[in-house]
Amino acid sequence: MSGLAAVIVLGTLILVFGVRLVLQSSRTGRNRPVSIEEFANAREALDAVFVETAAIERIFSAEDIEFICRSSTPEVQRLFLKERRALAVQWLRKTQKQVAQFMDLHLRLAGFTEKPSPGFELELTAKYVGFFVVSHLLLLLLWLRGPFRARRVVGYTCAVAGYFCAICSVRLANVTAAEPRS
Amino acid sequence: MIIFRQISDGLNMSTSFIWWSGVAVESAILLRGALAGLLKKYPLFYSYIACVLVKEIIGMLAYHFAPHLYEPLYWPTELATIVASYAVIIEIFRWSTRHNPGIRRLTQSAFLGVFALASIYAASDLMQGGFSSISRALADLSRNLRYVEAGILLVMMWLFVRYRIALGRNRLGVMIGYSFWVGLNIVNLAFWFQPGNEFSTRLRALLPVTYLITLGIWCVTLWSAQTEPVQPSETDIERDYEFLAGKTQVILTRTSSQVARIIKP
Repeated sequence: MSGLAAVIVLGTLILVFGVRLVLQSSRTGRNRPVSIEEFANAREALDAVFVETAAIERIFSAEDIEFICRSSTPEVQRLFLKERRALAVQWLRKTQKQVAQFMDLHLRLAGFTEKPSPGFELELTAKYVGFFVVSHLLLLLLWLRGPFRARRVVGYTCAVAGYFCAICSVRLANVTAAEPRS
Repeated sequence: MIIFRQISDGLNMSTSFIWWSGVAVESAILLRGALAGLLKKYPLFYSYIACVLVKEIIGMLAYHFAPHLYEPLYWPTELATIVASYAVIIEIFRWSTRHNPGIRRLTQSAFLGVFALASIYAASDLMQGGFSSISRALADLSRNLRYVEAGILLVMMWLFVRYRIALGRNRLGVMIGYSFWVGLNIVNLAFWFQPGNEFSTRLRALLPVTYLITLGIWCVTLWSAQTEPVQPSETDIERDYEFLAGKTQVILTRTSSQVARIIKP
């Protein structure tokens, strides 16, 4: 029965990839050749997202929300939160889009290289998948909690993760030190 | 009895219709291939179509004029067409990757790996099943060859999707028709070998129709020769993988750390 399931999965995957190939070919611009200049342009476009880092950091600034909470009506606070959330989501979506375009160009160009390395490709894919998952989780957090609370949640998660990492490192160091020498 | 005869006649009529339609569409594909100049371009694919056409005609003649020969002939001819269908993979592969030497090398290695693994699995499966009859052994071998083919096809499709390899309308048609046929065929074969599975009987009845759809896809997409996808000029291509991958890695790492720096309090 497990053999049957494996064959059904194999057959389904073939059909899914077939549909994917049709979609890939029907998208406009997908069939035109890409050049290394386009890759450089995509890199610049991605850098441009972070050019005004100070302005982006301001979206998440705790000072702003504290000021608004102190000196305005609930209606203004609500409007402020709504705008900041929209800005934060827009920035993250733009970053995701630029990274996706950049990876797409990388893959299209990598197809023409002489000796692509499967190991390195796997590493790059893992990095991209990591970015994809974390950024989408972040997007969800921004939608649900807004930029200020999302930042607090991220800070708390990082602190907890750091704490556990530190504990693990100490334990590992203790275990290594306690090992009998041969 | 009368109802059974009516159903049986209906089935015979639909079987004959599918059979004749298959032969007609295969002939049309071959004829259009010759007229459009695609026969010279994709000789392996058209050899496969010719092989299937010959098999269909032999099967049809045996079915109508020597029914006692139909069963012993079925699996040997089926096996021959499955072996011939590997030519379609070779054809798609050699044309699609002619500008991508790295992918070609990578795919060849992956093919060998999949082929070796699948062959070992298929051989052990064949040994376990025993050789109760020649027909059964041929049927098992045919099924296992299809599984191997499906594995190779999946690897090839994954690489084409991953590296966004442009196929052009003719080759895309061959690929889509072929994947549709192989995908459904292996699922059907898997059910076929499950004893007492009613779904298998229904699925088997659908198989000729799916093959007819496949032929339809091939006929439409290979009706005329389409232009090949434009390839970038040699000066625009970066052949050094390490250079390209290094840059991508740096950018990805930098972007991730910048996002983390902004979002962390």
